Amino acid sequence: MAVFGLRVTVLIALLVCGTVPADDAMAPPSKLSALLGSQADPEFARALQPRKFSFPEDHGPHPEFRNEWWYVTGNLDDDDGRRFGFELTVFRFSLAPTAPDSESAWRSNQVYLAHLAVTDADGEDFYVAQRFSRGALGLAGADSSPFRVWIGDWEFSAQQGSDAWQLRADDSAVGIEFELAPLKQPVLNGIDGLSQKSAAPGNASYYYSITRLQTTGTLRIGEQTFEVSGLSWLDREWSTSALAADQVGWDWFALQLDDGSELMFYGLRSADGDRDANSAGTFTGPSGAATHLHAKDVEVDVLEHWESPAGGIYPAKWLLRVPSLELALTVVPVLNDQELFTTVRYWEGAVDVRGTRHQLPIRGRGYVELTGYARESAPGDSQ
Amino acid sequence: MLPATYRASLFYLLRHPWQLLLAILGISVGVAVIVAVDIANSSARKAFLLSMDTLTGQATHQVIGGPRGVSEDVYRQLRVDQGIEAVAPIVETTASIGEARFTVLGIDVFAERTFREFSTEARTADTEDKDPGALITRLLTTPGGVLLSQSTAEELGLAAGEYFDVIVDGQFHEAKLLATFGNDDGAGRLLLTDIATAQEWSGSYGVLTRIDVRISDDAGVTLADVEDALPAGTRLLSAAGRTRSTLEMSTAFMTNLAAMSLLALLVGLFLIFNSVNFSVLQRRNLIGVLRALGLTRRQLLLIILAEAGFLGLVAAALGVVLGLVLGEQLVGLVARTIDDLYFRLRVTSIDINTLTLLKGMLAGVGAAMIAAALPAWEATTYEPRLAMARSTLEHKANRMLPVLSFAGVGLMTGAVGLIACTNTSLVAGLVAVFLAILGFALCVPLFVRFAARIAAPAAAAAGGTTARMAIAGIASGLSRTGIAIVALTIAVSATIGVSIMVDSFRGSVSTWLQQSLQADIYVGTQKSVMAPELVSTISALDGVIDGSTRRLTSVESEDRRTQLRVFELPTASYAGFELLDNSPEQVWPAWEKTDAVLVTEPYAYRFDVRAGDRIPLPTDHGVQQFLVAATFQSYDVDADSVVMHRTTYLRHYDDDSIDGLGLYLADGVSADEVVAKIESLGANWPGLYAASNAQLRSESLQVFDRTFVITDILYWLTLGVAFIGILSAMLALQLERARESATLRALGMTPAQVGGVITVQTGAVGVLSGVAAVPLGIVMAWILIKVINRRAFGWQIDMSINPGILLTTVAFAVAAALLAGLYPAYRAGRVQPAVAMREE
Amino acid sequence: MSTNLIAIQARDLSRRFREGSHEHVVLDGVNLDVRRGETVALRGRSGSGKSTLLNLVGGIDAPNAGTVAVAGIDLTNLGERERTLFRRQHIGFVYQAFNLVPTLNVADNVRLVLELNNVRATEIEPRVGELLDAVGLGNRADSFPDVLSGGEQQRVAIARALSHEPTVLLADEPTGNLDEATAETVLELLDRLVRASGHTMLIATHSQQVAGYCDRVLDLHNGQLRQGST
Repeated sequence: MAVFGLRVTVLIALLVCGTVPADDAMAPPSKLSALLGSQADPEFARALQPRKFSFPEDHGPHPEFRNEWWYVTGNLDDDDGRRFGFELTVFRFSLAPTAPDSESAWRSNQVYLAHLAVTDADGEDFYVAQRFSRGALGLAGADSSPFRVWIGDWEFSAQQGSDAWQLRADDSAVGIEFELAPLKQPVLNGIDGLSQKSAAPGNASYYYSITRLQTTGTLRIGEQTFEVSGLSWLDREWSTSALAADQVGWDWFALQLDDGSELMFYGLRSADGDRDANSAGTFTGPSGAATHLHAKDVEVDVLEHWESPAGGIYPAKWLLRVPSLELALTVVPVLNDQELFTTVRYWEGAVDVRGTRHQLPIRGRGYVELTGYARESAPGDSQ
Repeated sequence: MLPATYRASLFYLLRHPWQLLLAILGISVGVAVIVAVDIANSSARKAFLLSMDTLTGQATHQVIGGPRGVSEDVYRQLRVDQGIEAVAPIVETTASIGEARFTVLGIDVFAERTFREFSTEARTADTEDKDPGALITRLLTTPGGVLLSQSTAEELGLAAGEYFDVIVDGQFHEAKLLATFGNDDGAGRLLLTDIATAQEWSGSYGVLTRIDVRISDDAGVTLADVEDALPAGTRLLSAAGRTRSTLEMSTAFMTNLAAMSLLALLVGLFLIFNSVNFSVLQRRNLIGVLRALGLTRRQLLLIILAEAGFLGLVAAALGVVLGLVLGEQLVGLVARTIDDLYFRLRVTSIDINTLTLLKGMLAGVGAAMIAAALPAWEATTYEPRLAMARSTLEHKANRMLPVLSFAGVGLMTGAVGLIACTNTSLVAGLVAVFLAILGFALCVPLFVRFAARIAAPAAAAAGGTTARMAIAGIASGLSRTGIAIVALTIAVSATIGVSIMVDSFRGSVSTWLQQSLQADIYVGTQKSVMAPELVSTISALDGVIDGSTRRLTSVESEDRRTQLRVFELPTASYAGFELLDNSPEQVWPAWEKTDAVLVTEPYAYRFDVRAGDRIPLPTDHGVQQFLVAATFQSYDVDADSVVMHRTTYLRHYDDDSIDGLGLYLADGVSADEVVAKIESLGANWPGLYAASNAQLRSESLQVFDRTFVITDILYWLTLGVAFIGILSAMLALQLERARESATLRALGMTPAQVGGVITVQTGAVGVLSGVAAVPLGIVMAWILIKVINRRAFGWQIDMSINPGILLTTVAFAVAAALLAGLYPAYRAGRVQPAVAMREE
Repeated sequence: MSTNLIAIQARDLSRRFREGSHEHVVLDGVNLDVRRGETVALRGRSGSGKSTLLNLVGGIDAPNAGTVAVAGIDLTNLGERERTLFRRQHIGFVYQAFNLVPTLNVADNVRLVLELNNVRATEIEPRVGELLDAVGLGNRADSFPDVLSGGEQQRVAIARALSHEPTVLLADEPTGNLDEATAETVLELLDRLVRASGHTMLIATHSQQVAGYCDRVLDLHNGQLRQGST
């Protein structure tokens, strides 16, 4: 999801510095707007116009842009029908447009961080882990050929010549080791992959997704290991700047429907609570044909709310309607509490989908990301 | 209300303010020295531990490698291949900003979160724009970007955003202060920077100083996980163990200081003894009456002990206060010595803990009680008669003399036995010193009686009846004078002992320097390696015909840190090594060609090895066995070290750096001129120093002398206590003999003549103390040299007795006694003859 | 005589002192009986053993042979501690040199013995006042001994000696340091107080003046006790 990229700056700011000073934490909008106001070095490349994508090369890094991420979410079941959700994301961030010249292998302008989240729907548990590293010395990095993105021993990788990806991430409480086989070609979001996020030229990202990846592998929770399978979703995005000053958060939906289609939509929220005109989405048909959706094409009604124990009220049930597609979907989190207390606090969770398409019942699963609803970080939480 | 009996003693004490004051002062100074040394030691220790705390943070273990460090590949393997999270890379080096030296701690902020607290501390830092995210970006992207503690930045007059020069390994680098952090404890001399900057400054590309490891239940990593992943040549050591072994280097030094402070208290103890004893003697009549009135022995004992306890309490309280003041002065000296000799140390705060104060109070009260025990017991033996004649008393004291002396001989025998039965225990050695002193002290009164008996006729011949009276008075007043003499004897003998020790030590060091400094000029940089081009430039200077190279480093295993001295030397300078247990023909070829090393005498002593033994040393290729070719004499500050030939070193360690050069000049070339030439290179190579053989020798001796400044100060304090002892004893004696003085005045003596008797007496006390102190002092010197120094540092020192030292100290004893006698003499002269007529 | 009427009873009392190789016999088989309420003067030259006898009766010293009993208590068999407690309770001392505690004031000197006898604090104060009034020093209670005249000091000593109602008052040349007139005053006081309270008193003296105040005079000569002539 495009807007997420800007958040990386916040992450960088916070991950080393611990807690956000209390007064700042009380006012996330000003925090975001401050970041948006901070001018990126003009030497960074910008997403100004559509570009030609080529794969697998574009799976690799684009260090001339300030932010980039590899973002995989998925819904899985084990053989006994036990339900799981997962998120594995690697963010890349350039601190400066060019790599500094030094004999020290540590001198680098690249910083990587990663989040791993696992939802155990039946166990009603939610696990989060994170990693940080500079992109130097082989500690973390991204290569396009063969494809590999890694931070410590967490990695996305692919064999040369194969379009299947291996995902591996392990922490003390949870671990995953999956193989992902794309069932569809990459879909270019926005206008031919150029995703405008706010009015100013260059406030845009290059954004593609692989909306359906067959996923198999093992998932570990504590000492227990589960053989799981299901569907994953890949979001790839890189940019230098995107959001405008009055954009305070976003709601992102990535829904996989059982008729073989997928719906992605992000709603940008303004400070005044309205939906931003730059909100957009993509509908991908079973054959892989993509339809760009404008803000006005999608209606979102919040049906229920959930109050985080740490404060903040999140929407917790939605009705999404895309009249032009005759699509109406009720989206329900599999667990209310899928909130990540990483350096930036946000909600990212597996959801169930029920609804109608052309008046016929339809079901599905997906992932939703919600930001800007709570203070960036709970008081005293230095994670 | 206090019972009448206790009120009686309180009033007694108040009625003899001089005696009271001196007794209190004596014990106070003793307590003060103990407290001061304790404060100095614990402040130094605490400062060290704090700085280690800052440097090690939450690390429980550290991966270390050879002299050059750990390859950074090892770190990547741990993190990426093994997926071990709880590790953090560290590049540490030393930098100078102006005169101040800093530890540069190069960190990777991303690995730091679980290790050190700077990250959260930096939150409150006054960064340029108050944006912590920007600070980290700058730390990562600004070569030379550093963080300093708030107070250090203020001290250096630096504000965030300012640029300044740092010198690392003799090279200037530009640094920029990015921010300051508030955490000052232990971080006073810390330059925090990105690991890349630290590598760029130190030139240690590709290597880390160490890898911090945090093994804990929640880290999900076991010791074995890490150990299994480590290649040969690296070791996983416990952080606490490393801190301990570093601290241990200074332990002997601190123990010795503490022992010296005890000596001051011991002398103070004699003072209290003297004072209580005198107060008992003076009240013997009263005690007899009280006993007759029905005061039991136990009650009497309690009263006298309570008196002493009260004295001790007041004295200890005063001493503690005095100690706090003195401690502050001493901290600087101790810290400087440790910084000179052992490890980087900067004491920013004086550590005053309640334990120290408690120790001081206990020592004061305890010493007073112990000192009072004997007189108190003696008081209970006084018969409840109406009065006791002094002659009986002196008679009794005289009868006690052989018993005391016998006990003294027993203690001294004990001291000899203790030395003989223990081999390396420093504490046992120190106990032996105290036993010897006590034992000797017990024999002193007997000696005084003999001496006075022999000297009296001679005195009569020289100075007439007055002189005879004065001298005889010493022996007849032995129950009082004896103690004063003992106290002075101890103080003087301690001075003699330590002076002889220091003098002998200095002599040995001087001789050793003469022998071991073979080159004409020595060149080095401030505790860092020399750039290869600098080495070649200097070696190519006119007049230089030969050279030696030196590399000082250390290798660590789990249980010890071994100092390695690596040399490549012209064969002619092999003569600089005084080999102790093997012949040169056997040693040198082996040393050059095989895995053979030389060990210093302290090393051999400490680890009990000798020529022919093998010692294990961690190398870059794992632990290897090295043959000890010989033990050699060394008084180097890095006392226990191993000397390796450069060729051998290069075989085992991936480190070709050089940190010192010895230059041999052609005949007729002036060393000073070459030194000047080298110094002129200093513009490009800051921190470069060169010293001629003679300069280096005198500089070394200066460091040596500075080390013993503390020792000197402590002994002056001890002598001060002894001086107070003499003054108090003579004053007491004068009070006691007021009637005798009055009678003399009545018989027609002038005040000057009466004062003269006292003066002659105190002079004689000084002479007797001085004379008695000589043998004790020599014995003490012997123990200090052959037992204490050997056990503490492993040094063998040739003992040489400089008669000048003996003469000066004896003269000092006499002068001190005379000086202390002045006031009592004046008082004695002023006694009114009428006093003699009044009945007691 | 029944024992409860006997204050002091000595039988075959001997005391010898060793001085180098020579043994000096001070008391050689002394027998002495003093009734309760009797005042007895002990006369003899210096060194005749008067003080030694007083020390034996006072439990300060122990005899080499013979027995001595005071108030029916045989001192010969008492240990050091018992003797101290015995002294504290049964004996009052008056010395030639007064031997007041110089660092205590007059009242405290008297109070001292009462405290040693564990007299209750509430009883001590009136008793001290009473005693000082009795010796005519009620107004000097706060004075220290060194500002008192010899006679005054001895009067304090008498008050102290009588404070705890001892069975026996032992006085060793009580007027030896006083001029004749003062001695007379002190003796009168002593006599009055002792007789008024019915105390037993043994005075060692070589003064005829002192002997004159006593019921009985004994002479100590060559270690033997003889009835003296008054």
